[in-house]
Amino acid sequence: MTNFSWIDGSVVGLYLLVTMIAGIFVRKYVGRVEDFLIAGREMNVYLGIASLAATEFGIVTCMYTAQNGYEKGFAGATPGILQALAMFLVGLTGFCVKPLRDSGVMTIPELFEKKFGPRIRWASGVVIVLGGLLNMGMFLRTGGEFLVKVTGLSGTHLLEIMMTILLILVAIYTVLGGMLSVLVTDFLQFIVMSVGLILVTVMILTRVGWGRLVETVERHFGAGGFNPFVNSTMGWQYVLFNAFLNTAAVLTWQTVIQRLLASRDTKTGMKIYTRTSFFFVARFLIPGIWGIAALATLTSQQVGHNTLHAMPLFLSSFIPAGVMGIVIAAMLAADMSTDSSYMVTWGSVIYNDILAPFRKSRWSEKKGLLWNRAIIALIGVFLMFYGLWYPLKGDLWTYLGVTGTIYLSSMSALLIACCYWKKSNSWGAAGAIFFGAFIPVLYLVLEQVPATASFAKKNIGPYYSGIATYLLAGLAMVIGSWLKLKVKAKQSKGEEA
Amino acid sequence: MKGHWFWLLITASCVIWYSTITIYVAYKGVKDIKYMLRRLASRKNRSEESST
Repeated sequence: MTNFSWIDGSVVGLYLLVTMIAGIFVRKYVGRVEDFLIAGREMNVYLGIASLAATEFGIVTCMYTAQNGYEKGFAGATPGILQALAMFLVGLTGFCVKPLRDSGVMTIPELFEKKFGPRIRWASGVVIVLGGLLNMGMFLRTGGEFLVKVTGLSGTHLLEIMMTILLILVAIYTVLGGMLSVLVTDFLQFIVMSVGLILVTVMILTRVGWGRLVETVERHFGAGGFNPFVNSTMGWQYVLFNAFLNTAAVLTWQTVIQRLLASRDTKTGMKIYTRTSFFFVARFLIPGIWGIAALATLTSQQVGHNTLHAMPLFLSSFIPAGVMGIVIAAMLAADMSTDSSYMVTWGSVIYNDILAPFRKSRWSEKKGLLWNRAIIALIGVFLMFYGLWYPLKGDLWTYLGVTGTIYLSSMSALLIACCYWKKSNSWGAAGAIFFGAFIPVLYLVLEQVPATASFAKKNIGPYYSGIATYLLAGLAMVIGSWLKLKVKAKQSKGEEA
Repeated sequence: MKGHWFWLLITASCVIWYSTITIYVAYKGVKDIKYMLRRLASRKNRSEESST
């Protein structure tokens, strides 16, 4: 039984109409590739805050952070606190982001070319797109699952139909207006999303009650529900892996970096970082509370085996008619802003870095825009198919963490070395890229093959493999660079002799 | 229950901060959009004039 009514449907319809009009309207301001990919570097602080927050919160975020709350209690919000800390410190000090923005590049691999050469730029582009698209592949299915559960609508292939409609709507304005449409719709979506998130949280705190939430966590998880270090499913390895993951995401996750690169100047970019930082606590804690509320009010029989569905099931009966429309619109806003931004972001890397070797002579702005639009449309097609058939095993946050690590580990090692280590070179960069991709891919394969699945889960686990990836990527950068220096020194000695 | 003041504090901070920042960003963000579109429009006009 769900509380979704025709009033709610009208609210959702109105929201979609306004978003589409706004997104399509601004396409006329796009004249150059730079406008399309980074909004002509004209973004100011508050638009940046709205865009960054809206992009980094999609239905998929809401689902996995609520799942964290349902399965781990308040301690499930630990990654959010770690990310907020990293974001604040990076924004305050300008660590890596200052030299990155000062360089005037459009993507991170473009910066790497200056230090490590064109091959590393190309390889970085491939790794970024591979990690990013594998990561994003889950967005549509998870968004569709949320909508089906909350609205209570049922029918053959309903999830696929909902995913298709969502994607087509997002693709229309993203293909036409690029980053500019993304920024303007992100702003609207931030407001709608925030109203929905705050409204539901206040309703839970007043109707379910803080005391009951705390009591539920205590009963199910004991001290581990409040402290990640004593939680049986988390521990120091979970905290350390998430510290690496979230710091690397702050430094190199292309959707975050795109806001820095689209900002008017370096100072504006750094301000966006510091002022958005606390949002990352809310990003994990607010849906986490929704997950805890689901744990407090639903039985395990009602939830079934997939804990990802606990929160939407809870919302479907908890939110009254009328308010339900606002919540659905909020979640659609969250999802659309994330999808559109991710499509532009990965598209920008494909165009700017992977296709760079094929753009020996300068392309006209018209040709560049056409290619960018075609790439975004193709990403949409990929998402549709990958999102439909990939069978997710384990929890969603871990999957996203492992696939994200494919590029976060190596790219963060490359970025830090590029900005602060003069002697770093292409051998080190190649080594970091190889190990950064090899270990997570190996873990994903081991987890999927029946013969090794049990070994991978019990003896390795995503946290140890994740920690090993970050450490080995850094080590490979140091050893590889050192080796090249040694070989070069030997060669020059030989030449002298 | 007494030991969980950290999560109570952080939850209250989230709700209060998030509500405040939403209102503030909603007001200031409109100005940012207008400014951005004005700059892009004038830049586009300039490049069109120079190309003709």
